[in-house]
Amino acid sequence: MGKQIELSRESSGSLISTKPVMTFARYRRLFLVLLCAPAFVYVLAVAVWPLLQGVYFSLYEYNLMRPASRAFVGLQNYRDFWADEAARGAIITTSIFTFSAVTLELILGLGLALLLWRDSVFERALLALLLIPVTVTPVAVGLIFRALLAPDFGVLGYYFAEWGLSGPRGFLGNPATALWTLVAIDAWEWTPLVTLILLAGLKSLPTDILEAAEADGATLAQRFRLIILPMLLPTIFLAAVLRSMDAFKVFDIIFATTNGGPGDATNTMMLFAVKEGLQFFNIGRASTVANLMIVCIALFSVAFVILIRGADRKANER
Amino acid sequence: MSRRPAVHALVFQRAVLLLATCILLAPIAWLITTAYKPSVDIFSFPPTLAFLPTLANFRGALQHFDLRHLLESSLIISIGSAVLSLLLGVPAGYALARAKARWTIGLAYFFLAVRTVPPVATLIPFYLIMRDIGLLGTWWAVILLNTTLNTAFVVWMMFCYFRALPREMEEAALTDGCTLFGGFWRVALPLVRPGIIACALLCIMFAWNDFLYPAFLTRSETKPISVALITAFGTKDISWGTLGALAHFSTVPIVLLALFLNRYFVQALTRGIH
Repeated sequence: MGKQIELSRESSGSLISTKPVMTFARYRRLFLVLLCAPAFVYVLAVAVWPLLQGVYFSLYEYNLMRPASRAFVGLQNYRDFWADEAARGAIITTSIFTFSAVTLELILGLGLALLLWRDSVFERALLALLLIPVTVTPVAVGLIFRALLAPDFGVLGYYFAEWGLSGPRGFLGNPATALWTLVAIDAWEWTPLVTLILLAGLKSLPTDILEAAEADGATLAQRFRLIILPMLLPTIFLAAVLRSMDAFKVFDIIFATTNGGPGDATNTMMLFAVKEGLQFFNIGRASTVANLMIVCIALFSVAFVILIRGADRKANER
Repeated sequence: MSRRPAVHALVFQRAVLLLATCILLAPIAWLITTAYKPSVDIFSFPPTLAFLPTLANFRGALQHFDLRHLLESSLIISIGSAVLSLLLGVPAGYALARAKARWTIGLAYFFLAVRTVPPVATLIPFYLIMRDIGLLGTWWAVILLNTTLNTAFVVWMMFCYFRALPREMEEAALTDGCTLFGGFWRVALPLVRPGIIACALLCIMFAWNDFLYPAFLTRSETKPISVALITAFGTKDISWGTLGALAHFSTVPIVLLALFLNRYFVQALTRGIH
């Protein structure tokens, strides 16, 4: 460790130089700062600076179509956002989407992880195949399902419409089902990732406790409820927070399938902000939505971190 | 596991797994096979799964799209962003893992937090900056913005990798007269090669698959294939077969890369977490 170095330098230092002992430690600190500085400065310049500008823009009435009429309006954009029914709808849609998609992915992912919880060639090969959806371009995912679910010529959509399951305009064309269809598409894409995270958690559980429980005659259900689930809980929360952050920002699959429609049924905050900012060039309003998204993500991340800490403590008490 | 379940339980378990895998892979199988279907079979009524294979869709894709150019853009953007992110992120991850000050963990979390910011929040001001300095519509605009997210990711990942690496080897090299940079470059770096491969793989994947940034930061000559996939619809008369053919170039390379480097891919997705 560092102390050893300092000690060895100290013992030899008295022979060769009169410089203070701290020199090496200080030199090393400078070296580490220099290694870290480029990344830090880069992120400050290309991420933090635009974010601060975003905060600034959100306080202005600023439309690129009328750049001359830029005016300071204080918190008016935020008040407008709250008064706008479509905007409030976007928050609700995003929350429903995030909550449903993450819950579905956790349930399916936990099931798959338990099934895969055996270290043999078969399971490992299947895991590799299962991860394929994670690597598919999200826009292509949206287009695949748009094609499959098309009510006229889609391989699935035709039969869904024919059997009266989906209505004549298909699952994606119906305001009542469009959001749930997108939840299912998101689950298709991301359940494998949740499975992988939970599987890594399962594999790191202490085997002696599991074996002891089995030797004591605990049934499979008892072992799951009393041992596996409580000890896996921190990992489950972790998967939940990672997925929630991404699901909250969902854009590509919706843009490729419904583009927020039909009506405003699938208009999430990301779509709302992108349309507002880069189609209508309403920079002030778009920045407002983006900032609100950051606040939301920060809030539920903190909530999850508290949950994870609590679950960790409980899991370690066992 | 030490337990020995009954054979039929194992068979049942594996059958369920196999079924789940087939269901998950079916849409991709459909995408791939669509490329070889004549449009008569794609738009048959009712839909059919049987078809006579054809290469017409590939000809259509080549005719409607400048594939060489699209692939060139995708490659430049993803490799440029990956190289820049690794150059910035790997040394920073090392520094954070080796520094003993108390604020280093805070700085590591700062990078992690940057990764979670919704992309639209940086995109809009960045769009204006790029417009003002004349980089809007160039590959640089996408590479620069992509690199922030990727750098943040690489810093955090490499922080985890380097932290797990015992310091003793570098200390020994230092006492043998190795410089500090040599300790990083020649001792520590080779030991985390799996981490670097994992990071590079994910950076390339993120940038290659990204749609939002290039959709608004590039113009038609610089757009990558992910953007071409979607802008094609509505503007050109193309069929799902053409989509399937295009996907051979946009999606299949990354899928194969991830399968081929599966060990690193799995590490990349789990390492920074536990």
